[in-house]
Amino acid sequence: MAEASANSPAVLRGRHDFPEISGRIGSIVLGGRLPRHFWTAFLLCFLLVLLLLYSITYLIAVGVGGLGINMPVVWGTMISNFVWWIGIGHAGTLISAVLLLLRQPWRASINRFAEAMTLFAVAMAGLFPILHLGRPWFFYWLLPLPNVHMHWPQWRSPLVWDFAAIATYATVSLLFWYMGLLPDLAVLRDRARSRPAQLFYGILALGWRGSAYHWARYQVVYFLLAALATPLVVSVHSIVSLDFTFAITPGYHSTIFPPYFVAGALLSGFAMVLTIAIPLRWAFSVKDLITLRHMDNAAKLMIAAGMVVAYGYLSEAFFAWYSGEPYERTMMAQRALGPYAPLFWIMLSLNCGVLQLLWFRRIRRNMPLLFAIAVAINVGMWIERYIIVVTGPSRDYLPSAWGEQSLAWLDFGILFGSIGTFFALVFLFIRILPAITIFEVEELAEEEGKIR
Amino acid sequence: MSLYGLMAVFAGPEALIAAARGMRERGYRRMDAFSPFPMKDLEGILEIPKTRLPWAVLAGGIAGAALVYALIWYSVEVDYPINVGGRPLHSWPPFVIIAFEAGILGAAFAGFLGVLAANGLPRYHHPVFNAESFSYARGGKFYLLIETADPKYRKGVTRGQLTRLGAEMVEEVEA
Repeated sequence: MAEASANSPAVLRGRHDFPEISGRIGSIVLGGRLPRHFWTAFLLCFLLVLLLLYSITYLIAVGVGGLGINMPVVWGTMISNFVWWIGIGHAGTLISAVLLLLRQPWRASINRFAEAMTLFAVAMAGLFPILHLGRPWFFYWLLPLPNVHMHWPQWRSPLVWDFAAIATYATVSLLFWYMGLLPDLAVLRDRARSRPAQLFYGILALGWRGSAYHWARYQVVYFLLAALATPLVVSVHSIVSLDFTFAITPGYHSTIFPPYFVAGALLSGFAMVLTIAIPLRWAFSVKDLITLRHMDNAAKLMIAAGMVVAYGYLSEAFFAWYSGEPYERTMMAQRALGPYAPLFWIMLSLNCGVLQLLWFRRIRRNMPLLFAIAVAINVGMWIERYIIVVTGPSRDYLPSAWGEQSLAWLDFGILFGSIGTFFALVFLFIRILPAITIFEVEELAEEEGKIR
Repeated sequence: MSLYGLMAVFAGPEALIAAARGMRERGYRRMDAFSPFPMKDLEGILEIPKTRLPWAVLAGGIAGAALVYALIWYSVEVDYPINVGGRPLHSWPPFVIIAFEAGILGAAFAGFLGVLAANGLPRYHHPVFNAESFSYARGGKFYLLIETADPKYRKGVTRGQLTRLGAEMVEEVEA
């Protein structure tokens, strides 16, 4: 399986030795000398972090009226941002858990940052439903806590399921990620020269010493966590989609939603993996560890997920027509021809049109072009989430109740602020923790006979 | 200072496996191997017992799901029953969704905490760290430790055997 077919690039390029692998990956963190453009990019992200903080403060002070939402479309960018970010997180879990279970060797050098991407994306996603509450400081009412009101959460509400799903997903992703980090933290602990770094990595490594007895248990449990994360990731986005389908609003009430949301999550997630990986391998010259094979495979998975998404679009439109319901049919016609039509067609041309370029190997292996496609898909998927959220309520049952929402500066402030915060966290992660799994790359090099 | 064992350093994974097998054939039992990445072959050679942690994970999953389901059942049937149009209080399908998530959470915690507990981590210090040569800093050294508690252990003899099995260096490890 590890053998690549004749014309597909190898998972690892060149020959390596163990000191070199651990040294190169570890020195990104411990060397402390990062290229100037790294810090320039971080500064730009940090400005967006400030924008996010300002926007959130404004939102809390003024209220959700500061957003573009308006009756009858009271779900807006907060909900579409939430769905979009959660989806981005899912590709990380897919790479780290599903590819581990399928024993795909190409997972080894990209799983760590994919998992980090999951964590940060979930952290961003978690903000939005809470901000959308209007009174965010009461979000803990979703938890079954003993309280003076004597109330319980409404267990039959998808919003409460959502809370359970996201909280579980964030926690399990964190445990899985930290467990995978332990052996690498031990490497950093031993490599670190300065006392603070030794203390920092030493404490985080929890005294890991690589004993054969430890590895035996570690591997069993790591696989089990992967096996748990796999159904979890499917359940999380399915539950997110139930937030919509449990309403009888035209355009929301559809059984295709759970699989269609999961496929959309993978499409946008792999687009984000490429958006991060392409600059990462260029900036830190790890092109022989993260090879064209990884990029190629991620692009192939994008097209597979993208075709399922396209099927979802078709199926939605078909069943709107086949239902014979005038409300469903009107909603679908209005989605394509009504006030949100430009967005709808942009979405289709990006997610179904531009995506088809990935069928060509030459395009998949052209990094600047692949990066541009990945960014386009990210944009397309955000628009898709927005379209789903707003077009349904805007064309409700009674034409007299029809209406649109706008987009205010606050919508963009929070969206771009969250994107900046996400990338700022990714930058800090690359600075503080090994972005490529040292022990798995060494193991892979050993298995593939790529050791000098 | 008492002696904890002898630590032999090997350059590569094959050398470590060969040495572990050799020492095993010479009758040593209290051994441990240390490697920067997991090595499946060592489990057979060192006769590492099959871990029972999967049962802990299963138990954690069942406990998580059962506890949360019981909590929900208690809240709708006992603590706060609301009759909404005569619908059943115990409407299980939505409850299963939350119980499923709680089951995954319980299983993941059981696995993570279980593997740490079984491995005796976090641990502030361990005698192997006393060995000068024991470090993952250079990424790829492989270590075999023979404890002094092993009945076959004889200082000079064991050291000689390890050297003959290809150890780059043999070091005494203080307890």
